[in-house]
Amino acid sequence: MKETKCEAIRCELDELTLGDECSVAATQHLQQCGECREFHQKQTRLRQIIGGLGTVEAPPDFDFRLRARLANESNAAGFHLRVLQWPFATKGVAVAAMLVLFVAGVVLVRRNMVTPPPSVPSDSQVAVSDQQPTGPAPGPIEVKEQPLVQRPAVASNDAPRRIRSERPVQPKRPMAVLERANEGATLFSDSQRQAAIFPVDASLQSLRVSFDDGHGNARTISVPTISFGSQRAVATGNQFAPKGVW
Amino acid sequence: MNTLTTIDELAFAPPLQQEVEDTTSDHALLEATRTGDQDAFAELVSRYRNQITSYIYRMTSDYDGAVDLAQETFVRVYRARDRYQRSYAFSTYIYRIATNLAISELRKRKRRKLVSLTGFFQPSDGAEPQELNPPDCRPLQDSELVDAERRNAVQRAISTLPEKYRAPLILRDVDGRSYDEIATILETSEGTVKSRISRARGFLREKMRAYL
Repeated sequence: MKETKCEAIRCELDELTLGDECSVAATQHLQQCGECREFHQKQTRLRQIIGGLGTVEAPPDFDFRLRARLANESNAAGFHLRVLQWPFATKGVAVAAMLVLFVAGVVLVRRNMVTPPPSVPSDSQVAVSDQQPTGPAPGPIEVKEQPLVQRPAVASNDAPRRIRSERPVQPKRPMAVLERANEGATLFSDSQRQAAIFPVDASLQSLRVSFDDGHGNARTISVPTISFGSQRAVATGNQFAPKGVW
Repeated sequence: MNTLTTIDELAFAPPLQQEVEDTTSDHALLEATRTGDQDAFAELVSRYRNQITSYIYRMTSDYDGAVDLAQETFVRVYRARDRYQRSYAFSTYIYRIATNLAISELRKRKRRKLVSLTGFFQPSDGAEPQELNPPDCRPLQDSELVDAERRNAVQRAISTLPEKYRAPLILRDVDGRSYDEIATILETSEGTVKSRISRARGFLREKMRAYL
């Protein structure tokens, strides 16, 4: 009971403004209770010490520094503040536009990096030389580097015979052979005509010539033993004499 | 209750009317600032710069930091001049800004975990670590020196208080503000303000035993 009364009195004393007089009940209690009286004295003393701290003054250049700070903010950060003051919708639109530009840039860059190299048509093979026409129409083919007839003829039935199916086009091959059914006969130029004449064994049923395309693939051409302008073949009376002189 | 009976007493009447005029003047100055009157803002600064600097210094115990935060307070007042509402007194408004800045600074320091070399012990109720503050028991030399030592001691004691007790104690016992105004500044109830002030004074009574 006494403690409750002391607590209430002390609360009342605590809430008083310094210098104000307390209530009659509190005054009477203080006269009777030594602990509360001591509390009140110490509390008053403490509040006097705290109240005696006084006001700390600002430095003399406070106004000047504040003005300079406000001026710097308005000059240097004006645009920044204006951006910060944009409404949220505008900020959102600006951010979205930047994101769209960024994504578009990334897509364009990746597309340029992934573009495949130009491809060669698969239904044709590379010509023998660079000067060989690549069009579908057959045309004269000039064997320049190494005439076919100067190669040692491999006229043997045992010559390897490879059935070559159409292969995918390989660009820049050193030698290749056009393999087209509709291609015309190989024509030799005038300068090659002499080299193209070679003795033919008329006893052979056919002339077989094998050519190498430079990649280990050999092609065998079987040519009937017909001689154009070759009197030796006609004079021997070969049963396989040419059927006619063209 | 004192009654006014003479003309002289009337001249020295409680400044209730003057407070109302000052409040109105503060609002008028801020209105003028809003329209671009720099002199009006300078007048506001001159009225409150010492109070705000002193208040923040009592909260943080750092004079240079208090000056910087006081300037920040006025900068924020200036920035928000278009949004200021007259529902509260200007003093309440500016003190609220200053309180928030001071508390933010105290929390930053707590995160940095500045440790005093004079030693500290952890109170049982989870308040901030308090420094050991032995009183000066030497013979009294000069009353002014004694007063200075006492003021330093109480400032050090206040700096050890938890931040939630520090602000209401300073506003009440140093600045002399009413419970109602303190509750508005701290955005809490009057009962909470009274409770915290009572608790803070209890802490200080223990620390300042030798001086009481």
